[in-house]
Amino acid sequence: MSDYWPWWAGAIGLAVVTVAYAVATDRSLGVSSAWDRVSHWRRERDTERMDDEFADTDALAAALAAATAEAFGPGPQAPPAYDAFGPYPAGPPRPQHAYAASAPAAPPVVTKRPAPLVTQAVLLISIFIGGVIAAVSSGRFEIRYDMGPGFEELVTGDPLTMVGLLFGGGVLVGFGTRLAGGCSSGHGLNGCGRMRPVSLVATAVFFGTAVVVSFLLWKVI
Amino acid sequence: MRTRGTILLACVFGGLAFGYVLGNIGFGDYAELNAMFTFQDLRMFLSFAGAVVIVAALFAVLRIRGTKEKIHAGVVPGAILFGAGWAISGGCPSIPIVQVATGYVPALITLVGVVVGMRLSRWANSRFFHVDTGSCGL
Repeated sequence: MSDYWPWWAGAIGLAVVTVAYAVATDRSLGVSSAWDRVSHWRRERDTERMDDEFADTDALAAALAAATAEAFGPGPQAPPAYDAFGPYPAGPPRPQHAYAASAPAAPPVVTKRPAPLVTQAVLLISIFIGGVIAAVSSGRFEIRYDMGPGFEELVTGDPLTMVGLLFGGGVLVGFGTRLAGGCSSGHGLNGCGRMRPVSLVATAVFFGTAVVVSFLLWKVI
Repeated sequence: MRTRGTILLACVFGGLAFGYVLGNIGFGDYAELNAMFTFQDLRMFLSFAGAVVIVAALFAVLRIRGTKEKIHAGVVPGAILFGAGWAISGGCPSIPIVQVATGYVPALITLVGVVVGMRLSRWANSRFFHVDTGSCGL
């Protein structure tokens, strides 16, 4: 078919989506991670609730610490009682305000929380609607119960074999993307765009494997 | 920190645009996909590679950088499984959505497979592998 976009239009489109999403959300557009979290809905929702609770607890602890400092001074004082018994025997001088001095030195640990679970479900639904708009507006939309002439010619025309291969292929995709920590959007576009070594390796390996398997399907099987 | 609303809006419009672009490039078309992987037609390959180059340039200008995490033990085997699955079923996790949206009903089975595979992966990892896979969402 020749009614698909030329390569440069596709490249600009993919790049604009990737960068706009990254700038707007301060996160990477990762479809496999969205799928993973949505397919573990209950557990992810529980994790999210727990995170909310911990965030509240931190705020509470900080407020308590501030109130305590206001009432009793900034930190534990060295006990003044030693003076009454003369100088303290041998040993290095103990620093005063030991706790107060060491506590603020540690930088606050900032961990970026994943995007809210609901938004990831919305992302998947939006991809579907965007796909429908593309298919209908270009006249490609057609309800069909096969995977098209390409699949029939290269892989199988038998409906049962097709079902088995689609399911098995899907399992490989789901298992593999989560083990590798990303897919073509997360590792491929975002990771390679950020020059992350792990993404460059992952992209090279999954693309290379797909090339080998595609050649096998085309020439051998 | 971004607000929930910002992220939600980004997911709505980002998702719509992503689905629209993927559909119009032809990633949902199995014949086009095989032609890309066998280098018979470089159009889709150039779309993907061109996108990576533009993204890398824009991220460099905007100073958006990735973290330098270690290449953990799951990357290479996971990527091999994923590449094989992509070539066979024609679906990386977003493509079957676009295929269903184009009217390919059997792609629903691919989606079921993806969900099953992901649940298996998380279960197997916590049970046997204990690999810290991180996430491409971060």
